[in-house]
Amino acid sequence: MTRINAVLLLALIVSCLYLVKVSYDSRRLFSALDRARADAVRLASDHERLQSERQAQATPLRVERVAREKLAMRSATPAVTEYVEAPRAASAPAAEGGR
Amino acid sequence: MSRWFKSWGSGRGAPSGAVSARSLRYATSPLLASKTPPWRSKFLVALLGAGFVVLIGRAVYVQVWGTEFYQRKGEDRYARTLDLPASRGRIVDRGGELLASSVEAPTVWAIPRDLKASADEKRRLARLLGMSASELDKRLADNPNFVYLKRQIDESVALQVRALGLKGIHQLTEYKRRYPAGEAAAHVVGFTNVEDRGQEGIELAFQDALAGRDGTRRVIKDRLGRVVEDIGESVPPVDGRDIELAIDSKVQFFAYQRVRDAVAEHKAKAGSVVVLDVQTGEVLALANYPSFTPGERRNLSGAQLRNRALTDTFEPGSTMKPFIAGLALDSGLVKAHTSIDTGDGRIQITGSTISDHKPYGVLTVEEVIQKSSNVGTVKMAMRMPAREMWDMFSAIGLGQKPQLEFPGAVSGRLRPYKSWRPIEQATMSYGYGLSASLFQLARAYTVFARDGELIPVSLTKAEQPTGGVRVFTPETARSVRHMLQMAAGDGGTAPKAQPVGYSVGGKTGTARKQEGKGYADKKYRAWFVGLAPVDKPRIVVAVMVDEPNNGKFYGGDVAAPVFAEVVQQTLRTLGVAPDLEVVPQIVARHSDTVEESF
Repeated sequence: MTRINAVLLLALIVSCLYLVKVSYDSRRLFSALDRARADAVRLASDHERLQSERQAQATPLRVERVAREKLAMRSATPAVTEYVEAPRAASAPAAEGGR
Repeated sequence: MSRWFKSWGSGRGAPSGAVSARSLRYATSPLLASKTPPWRSKFLVALLGAGFVVLIGRAVYVQVWGTEFYQRKGEDRYARTLDLPASRGRIVDRGGELLASSVEAPTVWAIPRDLKASADEKRRLARLLGMSASELDKRLADNPNFVYLKRQIDESVALQVRALGLKGIHQLTEYKRRYPAGEAAAHVVGFTNVEDRGQEGIELAFQDALAGRDGTRRVIKDRLGRVVEDIGESVPPVDGRDIELAIDSKVQFFAYQRVRDAVAEHKAKAGSVVVLDVQTGEVLALANYPSFTPGERRNLSGAQLRNRALTDTFEPGSTMKPFIAGLALDSGLVKAHTSIDTGDGRIQITGSTISDHKPYGVLTVEEVIQKSSNVGTVKMAMRMPAREMWDMFSAIGLGQKPQLEFPGAVSGRLRPYKSWRPIEQATMSYGYGLSASLFQLARAYTVFARDGELIPVSLTKAEQPTGGVRVFTPETARSVRHMLQMAAGDGGTAPKAQPVGYSVGGKTGTARKQEGKGYADKKYRAWFVGLAPVDKPRIVVAVMVDEPNNGKFYGGDVAAPVFAEVVQQTLRTLGVAPDLEVVPQIVARHSDTVEESF
C-alpha cells in the first residue's frame, strides 16, 4: 500500500512539473505566434505602402511625360494604328487585356 | 499596583542591595496571590472567537459576495484589452489601379514628465519632426502628461525617432491615406481627415463601406508586455470594403491634362471635363481644374476644392437647342428638313428682341442646330405648349439632383411652367433662364446617344449595360444625332471638335456669365457637349471652360478642341475601332526579302 502511494506521489509530482513546463511552453509559443501575427500585419501594411508608392511612380501622367521627353515617343493616333480583326472567341479577353 | 511596580523595579535596579535575587519570593508574588476572575478567560475566548467570525465573514464576503469585483480588480492587473483597428478599404479604378489606399503612419507622442533628453538630443528630435527646438519645447510645456508631437509621419522618420531611444517619447500606429493619382482624380476620390474619416468625394460618400469595424481582443500580458494568452471572446476587426470606381485612370488623367492645358492656354479661370460610357452609364472621367494634391491640403482655396462639374450650375445656353429640336420632331411640329425663316436674325417676343449672331435667312431645322440659330429655335419653341417643354426638360434630368452617390451634387434650376412668361419660354429654348451642372448636361445628352433613352449614371463600376427611360423616339434621336454631327462638321459652329478617325456630333455653348442680377460684360463660359461615334455612340463627353480670357471665348474655339482630343484618346483606350477613313501613316519598310529555306 505504502509503495503504491509512493509511486502515485512520484507520478503526481512528475505530472505537476510537466504541467508547469507545458503551460510555460504554451505561453511562449503563444507569444511567438502573436509576434508573428503582428509581423504579418506590419508586412501587409508595408506591402500596401510600397504598392501605392509604385503606383505613384507609374501614373499615366508621369509615364506619358517620360515617354515624350526621355524616349521621344508620340501618342498613337488612328492614323498610325493598324486595326486587326481578332477571332471571335479571343476578342473579349483581348479587349480586356488591352486596357 | 503602580506603587508595587515601583518598588519591584527599584529592587531589581539594586540587586546588590539588601535583598538578593535568590531571596525573591515568587510564590508569594502579589500578582499570583490575587485570584483571576473567571470572566477574564471567557472574555478572551470570546474575543478570539469573534476574531475568527470576522475573518470567516470577510472570507465569505470576498469569496461569495464580492467575488466578481475582486476578480475584476485582479484581472485589471494583468489583462489588457487590445484594439484591433480595421483597415480602411481601398479605392481603385475600373482596371484595379489604386486611387486611394491606407498606409501606416506612426504618430509620435510624449509624456513630457518622463522625458529625459539632453539639449542636443532634443535638437535632433526636433529636426526629425520638422520643427524648431523652441517649437518642440513649447509643445512639451503644454501638458506634462500627454502631448502629440507630430501626427502621421513617414515610416522612415519614425524609425530614426525610435533609434534616438529617448525615454518618454512614444509612438502610436495610425493610418494615413495615400493618393497615387494625386491631383488628377482629387475631386472624385476626395480625402479623409486625420481621424481617417472621409471628408469629400468618394471617401465621404462611401465612408461607411470603406471604414469597416474595429475589433477588440482581451489578452493576458506578462511582465515584459508580451501577450501570453487570449482570454474571453475576441471580436475580429472587419476590414473596410474596397470600392471599385467606374473611372478609367488613363482617361481621367488625359482629360485632366487636356483641361489643364486649355485653361492655361486661354487664361481661363477654371475648366471641367465629364466622360460617360453610354452603354453602361459609367462615369469614365470627371476632371476639374484647378485641382489640389489630396495628401497636402494646407493653404487650400475653395476654388481648388470645388468639384465644378457637379456643384457649379450655369445657364446651359445653346446646348439646349438640340432638345427643343428633338421635342419639335417628336411632337410632329417639324421634320428635319422643314424650312424655318429666321429673317434678318431678329425676333420680337412681347417687346424684347432676340437676335442671332448674324442673319441666316431661311434655314432647315437641321441647319438651325448646325448654325446654332437662336431665332430658329425660338420659332420652334413658341409653337409648343409650355408644359410639354417643361416635361421634356425635367425628363432629361434638369432641376433634379442626379441619382449619384456623391456629396454636393446640385439640382440646378428649372422653374415650374405655370410661372413662365412668353419671353421666358423663348429664352429657355436656347438655354437661358434655367441652370444645370456640366454633369447634368452630359447625362442629358445620353438621350441622343442611347436612341432616345435617358440612362442612370454611376460612379462605381457597373458591368451590365443599363436600361433607360424613354424621352424621344429612336428616329428623333437619330436625326438629332445627325444635326449634332453637322454642328461639329464643316459649316457648323465647332469644326474643331472633329478628331481623327472618329465621327462625332455635339453642340457648342457660349454664354455670358450671370453677375448679380444681370449679365457680366466680358465674362463668358464656353462649353461643348457631344457624343462619338455618331452611328453607334459609345461615349458622351462634356467640356466646360470658365472665363476664357485670351481673345477667344466661343465654345467652338475653346472647348471643342479639348473635346476632340479627349474623344480620340478615350475611344482608343476603350478599343473602339475608328469609323472614319483615316489616311494611314504606316509605311512598310522596304527591304530585301530573304528566301525561306526548306
